Parts: sequence; structure tokens; C-alpha cells
Amino acid sequence: MKTYGKIALYILLIFVGSLTVFPFLWMVATSFKTMGEVFRIPPSFTSSTLFTERMWDNYRVVLYEHSFLRYVLNSVIVAGSAALGQLFTCSLGGFAFARMKFRGKNIVFGTLLATMMIPVEVTIIPEYLMMLNLGWYNTYFPLIVPSMLVGSFGTFLFRGFFENIPSSIEEAAFIDGANPWQMFYKVFFPNAKPVSASLIIIAFMNNWNDLLRPVIYLESNRLYTATMGLMQFKGAYGAQWHLLLAASVVSVIPLIIVYISLQKYFVSGMLTSGSKG
Amino acid sequence: MRYGKLAPWLFITPTVLGLVFFRIGPIIAAFLASFTSWNVFSPPQWIGASNYVELFNSGTFWMILRNTLVFSLIYVLGVMVCGLFLAILVNNRIRAITFFRGLYYLPVITSTVAIGVVWSWILSPRFGVLPNVLADLGVHNLPSFLGDSRYALLTLVVVYIWKMSGYHMILFLAGLQNIPEEYYEAAKIDGATRWQSLRHITLPLLSSTTFFIGIIALIQSLQSFDITMAMTEGGPNYASATLSFFTYINAFVHFRMGYASAMSFVLLVIVGIITFINFYARKYWVETVD
Repeated sequence: MKTYGKIALYILLIFVGSLTVFPFLWMVATSFKTMGEVFRIPPSFTSSTLFTERMWDNYRVVLYEHSFLRYVLNSVIVAGSAALGQLFTCSLGGFAFARMKFRGKNIVFGTLLATMMIPVEVTIIPEYLMMLNLGWYNTYFPLIVPSMLVGSFGTFLFRGFFENIPSSIEEAAFIDGANPWQMFYKVFFPNAKPVSASLIIIAFMNNWNDLLRPVIYLESNRLYTATMGLMQFKGAYGAQWHLLLAASVVSVIPLIIVYISLQKYFVSGMLTSGSKG
Repeated sequence: MRYGKLAPWLFITPTVLGLVFFRIGPIIAAFLASFTSWNVFSPPQWIGASNYVELFNSGTFWMILRNTLVFSLIYVLGVMVCGLFLAILVNNRIRAITFFRGLYYLPVITSTVAIGVVWSWILSPRFGVLPNVLADLGVHNLPSFLGDSRYALLTLVVVYIWKMSGYHMILFLAGLQNIPEEYYEAAKIDGATRWQSLRHITLPLLSSTTFFIGIIALIQSLQSFDITMAMTEGGPNYASATLSFFTYINAFVHFRMGYASAMSFVLLVIVGIITFINFYARKYWVETVD
């Protein structure tokens, strides 16, 4: 490419990038301001607290007085267990659909496919009533169990991966007398590290960001996830933008760190999935 | 059947449990519930099609349906145009391009609530940064983007397009990278301009990707609960409420489970029609390389 074309392209890339990144920068900038500075016109990027001992005041208030430290840990527990659960369900299911022959396989797989696009709004009402009857209201079970047992996307991901493993490997293991579980656990699963990483990350992200289930199932403050905590905080302290934006930063930072360190798995996972769910 | 008869079923037990308890079961239950009057606290009462009758006679419902349609239409067009633009932009082999891809994808992984908070702040009347910048440029007397019933829905959809374009960028990028390089080289030799290559090579060969993305975007747009909840809570006066949010309100704020189930079935029928169209129209609509 010619040099001029290249420069023009970089300018365009940076311009579009600034549209993407500005809200994030503004989020961080506001989170360091004092109450008074938030309502100053014209707005400015800097604030008087920067690099002074008052710099982290908003964060201190949000993390300790408004329990966001707790909410973030709650989110790690919820999203982490849902993701591990989904890994278990999807890798086993994907293996069975890819390598095993059994009666009813097409029906089960077809059902998985057909119900993939069903909006959660349809299934959530009966699910809610079921959770009430199980006594799971105001616990983490409704946030974890449905998401760990239903993973159409993850199952497809694993099925596609396991289908492409040459059967000579399978033959050799059979001759050595491997049973089905050993075949999965010792032969196939160890090869699926990239797929597993993609699935864990995407499932973790979806559960971290989930709003509907925490809103309808969680009543006690101490159980709130980071997303739910932020939603509730917005309702209660809507005008205190400096605290609200600090809380936003706190609730997105863990995910952004995971994203930056494992970017390639995010993108390849999304590519294969085509949709979340 | 070298794995035997039992092993496959043991392997898919979690999946089957999930399907029965969280997909098939609830769909049947929701269908039955849509014919009942049910407020959770007392047992459901069979009232026939009354919920559907009430729904189709309710002015609010038609307004919500119109909102949903407007939201979907703008969202689908928006993410497809922006997604394709971003994909073409990052489909270059130059230094630091993976950095830009990663950057454009950042809003996708961020929670909708956090995005809703920061955009509410940016758009906030008087103290928000956007009204202030526009005032400096000579645009005064702006409406309240989220508080004015004429603009609330539009604002929601624009913010959601901003959030989701990166996702569609990745899907388009995969499609772009499947187009053989030789086609462009041949066109170049024939003296085609960049615009002509885009118009006559990229777009036709991308049609199956485009169709797929359209369907994905349409279904995404019908599940806009998060962004509505995070920014306007359907307000002012249901002006920005869509079907998925309205279902939530009726079920979990008014506890009208039967009525909300009927509503969710309307949503299900819409999704069903889209999926059906996708399945059948695909082979007619799509051009392939051969």
C-alpha cells in the first residue's frame, strides 16, 4: 500500500478508535472527580484530586462503604462456577455428539439447535416459578444452574472440534483398552485446550454481564453481583455521578483485564459461535 | 457402537437435563400459563384466550410492538452498516491492526449496565459532555435525549449500535477473509476502482454472511431488555419500552404471569418466523463463489 493511503488509513482507524474509547476514558476521568467538579461547566478531563492522596476517595467509598468489593467477588464466584459447569456439560455433550452413535442422537441435537434462538423472556417465567418452588429464590443456584446446563453454543464448539480429530487416535486408544470415560478424559479433552479457554471466557463474560436473572432472583444486598450492584446503585444514587462512574469502572475492570490478557480466545470463540447463548 | 449403549446417554445427561428443565419444559409451561390468570401468590386460573384478547385490544401493547419494530429496524441496519464498515477498515494487513480490532471489540464485552451509566452521563442535559460540546459548536436548546419521549427510544438504539458494532465487525471480518485475494487482483488488472471492487466483488460474495448477520442482529434486537433497563427503564411513559422489557414489567413488577406469558409467546412467534425465513430463504437469496 502507498504511504499516503497508509497514513489516511491510520488516521481513520484512530478516529474511529477514539469514538470507541472516549466513553471509557470519560468513565475513568469522571470517577476521580469530586462532587463539585462533576457539575462544573465546561466539563474537563482532569480533576483536582489527581495524584493527591484524595485521588482514590471515590473508589474507597464505592468499594468499602457501598460493598462493591463484595459484589465483584460475588460475580467471580457466580460467573466462575457457571463457566466451569458449562465447560463440563458442553465438552461431554460435544464429545458424544461428535464421536458416538446412539439412537435419539439426532432428536436431542435437533432440539438443542431448534431451541438455541429462544429468547430468555419466554422461558424465564416458568423458570422463576420453578426456582421459587425449589426454595432457590435469593440464592446463587438460579444464576448458575440454568446457565451451566444449557449451552448450545459451547456444545457446537466442542462438537465441531472433536469431529475434526482423526479417528486413528481413537483406534489406538481402543486397542489399548480405553473405556469411554478414559477416551474422553485422557485422549480427547486434553487436546481441546483452546476451545475450552474460549468457552470458559465467553461463558464467564455472559454470566458476569447478566442482568435479568440477578434482578429477578436476588433480594439481599450481600448476594448482589457487580452488574446488579451497579444497577441498584444507579437507582439509589443516580445524581452522584462521581461515585456511580467509579462503581462502573470497578464493575468492568476485572472483565477488561481478562479480555486483554486472553484476547485471541474471545475473538476466535465469538467467531465460531456466531451468537451468544 | 463401540462406546456401548449406556455411555452416550451418560455423556449427554447434563445437556438433556438442561433441555428438559430450562428449554422444552418452560416453553410448554409458558404456553399453558398464557391461558391463565396467575399472580404467583395464588393458584393459576384457566381463563382461555382472555390474555391474548386483552393484549390485542390494548393500545399500550400496539405501541410497544411498534417500538420493538422501530428498535429492531434501526438496530439491524445500524449494526450491519457499522459492522461492515469496521470490518473493511480492519481487514488490512498493516502494523497494529490487531490492536484496533481488539479496541473496537471492547464495548461488546463491557456490561450493558456500565455502558448505560456512562452514556446516560455523557448525554445528561446541562452537565453532560455531549450537550456541552454541541453548545460550543452553536447547537443550543437540545432536547433531553433520554427524558423526551420522542428521542428516548432512538437514543437507546444508537447506544446499543455503538456497543454491538464490534461484534458484527468480527462476523463480517470472517466473511471478508474467505473471499479469495485473486478476485481483487484480477479486478485491479482490469482497472476496477476500489468502489467497484466493493460493489461487484465484496458485497455479492459476502451475501451469505450478510444474511446470517441480519438474522443474528434481528434476534439480538428483540432481546433488548438490558439496555432498556440500564438507561430508561422503559420511560418516559413506556415510550422506550420494547416487547422484552414489557414482558419483564408485567411478569416481575405487576406479577401478571399469565398476561406476560402471552406476551412472551408473541415474541416467540416473531423469533420463530425469523428463524423459519432464515432456514428457507437462505438457499434462494445467497450467491456463492461457484
